[in-house]
Amino acid sequence: MITLALPSKGRLKDDAIARLAAIGCVVEQTGAGRSYRGQMHGAVDADVAFLSASEIARELASGTVDCGVTGEDLVRETIPDWAARVMIAAPLGFGRADVVVAVPHVWHDVETMEDLNDVAAGFRARHGRRLRIATKYWRLTQDFFTRTHGVQAYRIVESLGATEGAPASGAADIIVDITSTGETLRANGLRILADGVILQSQACLVQRVGLNAKEAAEAASLAALLNRA
Amino acid sequence: MPDLASRTLAFLEQRALALPVIPMLQPADPFLDTAGEALRRRIFLSEGETGETLCLRPEFTIPVCRHHIASAADTPARYGYCGPVFRQKRQDGPAGANEFVQAGIEDLGDADHAAADARSLADALALIAALAPGLQPRVMLGDEALFGALLKALKLPDVWAARLLRFFGDAAKLDAALKSMGAPVATSDRFAGMNRAALIAALEPEMEAAGLLEAGGRTPEDIAERILEKRALAQGGVSASARAVIALWLKMEANLGASLDAIDAFARAHRLHLDGARDAFAARLKAIRDAGVDVTRIRFSAAFGRPLDYYSSMQFEAFAPGGTLPLAGGGRYDRLLTLLGAARPIPGVGFSLWLDRVQAAAGRPSS
Repeated sequence: MITLALPSKGRLKDDAIARLAAIGCVVEQTGAGRSYRGQMHGAVDADVAFLSASEIARELASGTVDCGVTGEDLVRETIPDWAARVMIAAPLGFGRADVVVAVPHVWHDVETMEDLNDVAAGFRARHGRRLRIATKYWRLTQDFFTRTHGVQAYRIVESLGATEGAPASGAADIIVDITSTGETLRANGLRILADGVILQSQACLVQRVGLNAKEAAEAASLAALLNRA
Repeated sequence: MPDLASRTLAFLEQRALALPVIPMLQPADPFLDTAGEALRRRIFLSEGETGETLCLRPEFTIPVCRHHIASAADTPARYGYCGPVFRQKRQDGPAGANEFVQAGIEDLGDADHAAADARSLADALALIAALAPGLQPRVMLGDEALFGALLKALKLPDVWAARLLRFFGDAAKLDAALKSMGAPVATSDRFAGMNRAALIAALEPEMEAAGLLEAGGRTPEDIAERILEKRALAQGGVSASARAVIALWLKMEANLGASLDAIDAFARAHRLHLDGARDAFAARLKAIRDAGVDVTRIRFSAAFGRPLDYYSSMQFEAFAPGGTLPLAGGGRYDRLLTLLGAARPIPGVGFSLWLDRVQAAAGRPSS
């Protein structure tokens, strides 16, 4: 039987369980109400582990769970060389959020990544330091800035708390963060660049590579049901 | 490798170079600030007890320059090194290998740039010859300062010249930048008609309200100046003929012996004055000949540059015959020491060499 990791709390947990119920899979939390183990019965049977969304990505990469429901952003950010280790089996249509590049709204001269590249290149000469980007997504940021847009001149400041506050506090100049409506960014005087959407993320059924034949068949039927629904 | 390393040390000692002790554990910031964040996933990072980010030495040029600055040594000074560096996922080598031996020479503060450039190139080739006798490396050489002079002679707007220079050596990105140079630049007319002072007056209260005036980043002046720059770009794009000249220039290749004639012929044909950069190139070429380097074995390519943004003019790489990864690479980096904190500008030129690649090439029959 496969082990399926599901988000342990919040909207993501509720949406995942509802979505599984819709395809005839009933998830039950075993033991007391706070237990982190469970079972799934119905169209597909599975052992269930309740974990945080970022733990799910890590556990898939290390192979301790076979399938999981987590955000595509976390898969791409948390797992080095992700495409070799896990596979996105079914996009689930909830948990939608974009990973975006946002600059202070008052930077009226910076509308595109090309503008940002100009600013970054001249930054050290003007300010004696590199342009700073606050983010929790350093891997996605590097890929987008360096590989996609050829921006070299920047430093990443790893942000632990509220990333959108970094420009006003002086901790960073711009940010890369996740947003669903853009409301929080606007409230903090930030604007998404015209070509600044790094990833349109959503919750996905993700499976690790290297399942045995029986597990692979179970994972495939779960994915097929989710893709059809 | 011990044999190659001891022969390298003998080579460095013959030249009476200072051989500074460069600690294996280095502060990471100078590397990330200089080579860019892309380096982060290719080096081994660690953290000191007080929270500073450290890394295993990924190369020698930056720590040798920092050593020079910290010891307030007199210039000119020449430093040699030979020792392990640590990299993740280098393109070649045994699977999982992450420790490689690098050797090289950094030549700091010599006012005679042509002679120092020639010495660096000659030393790189002599070291390859000492370690792999009979190997005839293929050498590529380019000059970023010449490209800068071409853009200046074409009277390219500063914004575009800076964009193109940033991608020097990266054919695909340079090509994309050249193409986008022909496209019209869109600007919002929200600030139409405002001059610099009016722009600053409009931006200041907005930045103040956003809490950005005290944040220590971009200022209203910075933003105003770029708005004006973009307005100028929108009014006068880059002519198709200028773009064609740049594209032609980037295709120019010749053996180094014939390169000056090719450059002069190009300048004459397009009525361009490359002045200082051309004369510096000519002086360097003479010095390279005087140093006894066989210039017919070196390929000059107008588009050749190395993927590091601290080089300022000459850049070169040496390959094994048929090889695609450099055995050795080097160039002139006149801005680097200032970026690393030197109180006054110190010009520099240097090269480094991968001992394992030279050893592998020496073991293969040479064509």
